[in-house]
Amino acid sequence: MAAEAVIAAVDVMSIEQITASQVGMKAIGAGLAVGLTGIGTGVAEMGIGAAAVGAIAENKDFFGLGLLFTVIPETIVIFGLVVGLLLLFL
Amino acid sequence: MGVNISAPYIYVCTRMRMRKSKLLPKEEYQRMLNMSVSEITRIIGETEYKQEIDELGTTFRGIDLIEVALSWNLAKEYQKIQAITPGTLKQFTQVYLRTWDIQNVLTILRGKMQGVKTGKIKEILIPAGSLDKVALDRLLSEESPDRIIEMLKDNRMFPVLAREYPLAKEAGSFSRMENELYKHLYATIINDAKTGVKGGASFLAYIQLEIDIKNVKTLFRLKADKVDEEAREMFIPGGSLSLNDFASLNAIKDLGEFIDMIRANISNDTLHVLLDEVRTKKGGVQYIEARLTRVQLEQMEKMSKRNPFSIHPILVYLERKKYEVFNLRALARGKESKLPSEKIVDYLVM
Repeated sequence: MAAEAVIAAVDVMSIEQITASQVGMKAIGAGLAVGLTGIGTGVAEMGIGAAAVGAIAENKDFFGLGLLFTVIPETIVIFGLVVGLLLLFL
Repeated sequence: MGVNISAPYIYVCTRMRMRKSKLLPKEEYQRMLNMSVSEITRIIGETEYKQEIDELGTTFRGIDLIEVALSWNLAKEYQKIQAITPGTLKQFTQVYLRTWDIQNVLTILRGKMQGVKTGKIKEILIPAGSLDKVALDRLLSEESPDRIIEMLKDNRMFPVLAREYPLAKEAGSFSRMENELYKHLYATIINDAKTGVKGGASFLAYIQLEIDIKNVKTLFRLKADKVDEEAREMFIPGGSLSLNDFASLNAIKDLGEFIDMIRANISNDTLHVLLDEVRTKKGGVQYIEARLTRVQLEQMEKMSKRNPFSIHPILVYLERKKYEVFNLRALARGKESKLPSEKIVDYLVM
């Protein structure tokens, strides 16, 4: 009974609908890749940023180094962005 | 650890570490040992004390300039730390800095009892605790010590002051009151830390270390002075030692046996190394005290590395800064009274 129902549902979906659904799934995947890595980057940068601001408050010479360390976790979101772009355009 | 540590904790702990790195290194003290008071003033005028030395340079000279500048700088630093620490760290820092309130109130009371001029008392006050400059000025403006006690009725130490002051007045000495105030302070600190607030356990661990070291210092001092009476009154409860252990330790006359007993009662590797050193090499009580303080600081450093974003880095800085000021003061005073360098070194915590 159940198998028959599935076959009937597939029969109902046209080729255009299936293609559109795949594009939608890709878009959701790309969104998740960028969004989740963004959150990961944020969490990682929280600690580094707080420590960097603390160090800069005491010694201004740490500005360059502090900034550099703070943006290192940006690589995580860049990976997410690359994955997202690959999903959408390949 | 990790995600559950908030950004303000990380910010403050990093600032404290940065400040700690700006403290004077050991080599600087070694250099200062060969300098005169004016040279020491010039050297510290080029460091973190510049602002105070410049401000006070017109009013004070020589040793007075160093003393007042060091006190002002210490008070400024401690007030600033109280201002930037967040949440429970602020609460712990404020509770911890109340030792300065006790010191200031006792200085005022002692000064007033002995008829010292208000200006002279003011010079030696360090407004680093909850009683700031304004509050201390208000206390100083009162002539009678009874009125000073009354004015402190909103302070947490008032119950002890009210209980002990009549006895102290009668005896003409504040030493018992001082002991009681410190005991009360430690009791309230332990209570506050045990209320289950975040970070309370690490604060408690430090306080117990401090109480242990204080009790051991008291025992060494009692041994050096050969005072047996009232030893029980000097004991601070809350550490590894019980009152009975303290009393029996004080009763031991032989140094070797005394050291063995301390080793058995307090488990601390750094302390054990020092005790073994004391056993073989005879040093004055000043030297032992300075070394015990060093043990305390080393242990604190270890704790602050184990808990990098807790109250420990703040306490390490507070203590290290305090001993830097003590060291500079000891150096300047030693030089002023023309003590030989070897004698001054014993008083320094390096």
